[in-house]
Amino acid sequence: MTTTVQKKICMLGGFSVGKTSLVKRFVQSIFSESYQTTVGVKIDKKTVTLGDKVVHLILWDLAGEDDMSSLRMSYLRGSAGYVLVADGTRPATLETALSLRRRVEADCGPLPFALLLNKYDLREQWAVSDGDLEALRGSGCRVRSSSARTGEGVEDAFTDLATRVTH
Amino acid sequence: MTASAAETLEWLFRPRPIDSGIDRTALAGLLVELARTVEPKACVQPTGISSVDPRLEQLRDLLVGHEIEVLGRLRQVVEDPERLGVAVGRVLPAAIASSDARLGQVLAPALEKATETSIRNDPRALINILHPVIVPAIRKSIAEAIDSTFQSLNESLRQSLTWRGLRWRFEAWRTGKPFAEVVLKHTLVYQVEHVFLIHSHTGLLISHVAAADAASQDPQLVSSMLTAIQDFVRDSFKGAGQQGVDTLRLGDLRLWCEAGQFAMLAAVIRGNPPEELRDSLRSVLSRIHDERRQALESFDGDSSGLADVAAHLADCTALRQQARSARKAGFPWFVFVASVLLAGTAAGAGLWRWQVVQEQARISAEIAAEIAQEQARVRAAELERRAAEEQLWSGYLDRLRAAPGIVVTEAGERNGKFAVAGLRDPLAPDPAAILSESGVDPARVVSRWQPYQALDPVFVLRRLEASLPPPRGVRLSIAGDRIVAEGSATPLWLSRARTAARMLPAGGPQLDLSQVQNVTEGVFAKLRQTIQAREIRFNTNDSLPAPGQDAVLDQLADEIKDLTALASTMHVTAHIRLTGHADDTGPGTLNLSLSIARAGAVMALLKKRGVAADLITIGGAGQLDPLDERNSDTARSANRRVSVAVLVEDER
Repeated sequence: MTTTVQKKICMLGGFSVGKTSLVKRFVQSIFSESYQTTVGVKIDKKTVTLGDKVVHLILWDLAGEDDMSSLRMSYLRGSAGYVLVADGTRPATLETALSLRRRVEADCGPLPFALLLNKYDLREQWAVSDGDLEALRGSGCRVRSSSARTGEGVEDAFTDLATRVTH
Repeated sequence: MTASAAETLEWLFRPRPIDSGIDRTALAGLLVELARTVEPKACVQPTGISSVDPRLEQLRDLLVGHEIEVLGRLRQVVEDPERLGVAVGRVLPAAIASSDARLGQVLAPALEKATETSIRNDPRALINILHPVIVPAIRKSIAEAIDSTFQSLNESLRQSLTWRGLRWRFEAWRTGKPFAEVVLKHTLVYQVEHVFLIHSHTGLLISHVAAADAASQDPQLVSSMLTAIQDFVRDSFKGAGQQGVDTLRLGDLRLWCEAGQFAMLAAVIRGNPPEELRDSLRSVLSRIHDERRQALESFDGDSSGLADVAAHLADCTALRQQARSARKAGFPWFVFVASVLLAGTAAGAGLWRWQVVQEQARISAEIAAEIAQEQARVRAAELERRAAEEQLWSGYLDRLRAAPGIVVTEAGERNGKFAVAGLRDPLAPDPAAILSESGVDPARVVSRWQPYQALDPVFVLRRLEASLPPPRGVRLSIAGDRIVAEGSATPLWLSRARTAARMLPAGGPQLDLSQVQNVTEGVFAKLRQTIQAREIRFNTNDSLPAPGQDAVLDQLADEIKDLTALASTMHVTAHIRLTGHADDTGPGTLNLSLSIARAGAVMALLKKRGVAADLITIGGAGQLDPLDERNSDTARSANRRVSVAVLVEDER
């Protein structure tokens, strides 16, 4: 028998890392992007099927801000996991993502998360070295290179996260 | 503690007089009695009992010495208020915990009195405690009451001048109810279209029920967005405390939210609901909480265990008040007209004023909403414009980085402007031209370029072509990290090329000249030598060749034509220089003109044989350049001649 579960997932990342593009192509959406500029969050849904289990990931796409203090931490309440998005061509956004992770962990404790290094289609400008990636993986991060343009890595990341939040 | 118990304690600890206080006569009698039970014949009379007898004290110590000591210790505790306090404090909590309801009954009056006194002395303490709890409740209650009053007033005003209104007034008069209540009873038309039960902590949807004809978007997304908006309001307006939004209104639709401990009930209502509906929603929510508290508390996204709450939600969607059927025919117009006249212009003016005020409020609300919308739109547009501009900028940087001879060392945004700095080979493409093609506003860009020489073979080649223009016979090309020259060239160009090759910077591409053929060597050189060995002979004082020279001229013409053809394949130009000579007889000036005439004659004869005249130049040496300087006829004969020289030039 198929069971259906919903899980709240937050999407976090610095300014223009391509979070919205990821969401636009791969998820169900009914709200306009202006919610992000006004309310600071937009809700989308990604449905993942794991065997006989259907998982609706309710994605809280939080407005990307470099000024971290303006992130509304109350939106994180009740999250089962989160997705960090950074831009692989701008190492500073990876820093932002890691510092967001620290803030989430301080507020919510350790939660499953996926770190997506986006814009992998711009590989020739890739600025994150393999050594950095290995160091991140060594510290327990699930890092994936992704591309909202080609779709690379995106489905896998959502499926993996869904597995971990429902295990 | 009862009175008797207190007395016992008092007696126990009364200070003992020096005398033991014992009726010594009775004691003596008792001892005699005891003696008689042992020895009935003993006949002792308790006489001569002294008032003080140390043996009695000894006896007492023997019998109850230990108890006396314990009592002494107890007495110390009881008499020292501090130690007594500690001792009672140690047992009091346990004593109260194990006591029955009577303790509460006994304590209540005292506590009430104490509290009353405390509040009378300083009411602020109680106000501070109750303020956060009671004020929001009062505020909400007042708001609802006002809302309800306004609704009723609104309806009253709308209904008061109609036939229906008059009928309702009659009903109010007949039943003794307030008119507003009667109006409300008849006018509130609404339908609960959707009910969402939302988990407060995660914002996830637990259950959703919609009325039969209601349509909506994905309820899971709506539920989370509602939670986000609640969070947003709570965060943005701290004064709202933990209340959040309980009413949202959009045209004919209202959203009413009721928050419970673990779940929030959100109802979408079309129409004009009475405030009592809120009570119904509240009671449904508390019923759900009562029945499924455990499941709500531990909800983790799987709502299959909570399927039964849908029935409760369905109760909500069943709530509705339908519009009455349309007005019946036969409307008594005269009553309407009469009532309008009776109500008079004052009521009309009141209504008009009411409508004006309402209209103004509606317009200002609309303007405020439009302003907010416009601000959001402007902000979104600004973000979009920034994103587009950043994309153009990053496109420009990409093109700069891709351009050979340009090295971008710094790029970023400073003080609202884009900044780029780096090195540029003067032969590289112009960054300004790339910028204007990229679409970025040049006024927003600050550039700083330092010149440098790129060692990229393309640039080395271009610099080489500028300083060492290759003749047509030579082609320069890039082969790996070398620049290779191929073809044929004159020794003059070759020697300049070798110098240039030596001047190239170390570590960069080198110039390879091994593929260039020197035109003064090989077949060309041989033919040139043959031509230069030819001589046309003349008789004394004669400007036309001597008889028998035609064969030589034929041969020479053929050879020159061959040489010209060969030169053209090697991209060099061969010029023929004919020099006339005379012997040393006769005056020098005559000999000079004679020698020029001889060269001219040979040129004409060669031209006649098909040699291109523009390649030939002529000159005369007179008698100054003799072949044989001896003074003999043979020598003179040898000196009357036209000699041929071939000059080679690189073709441009």
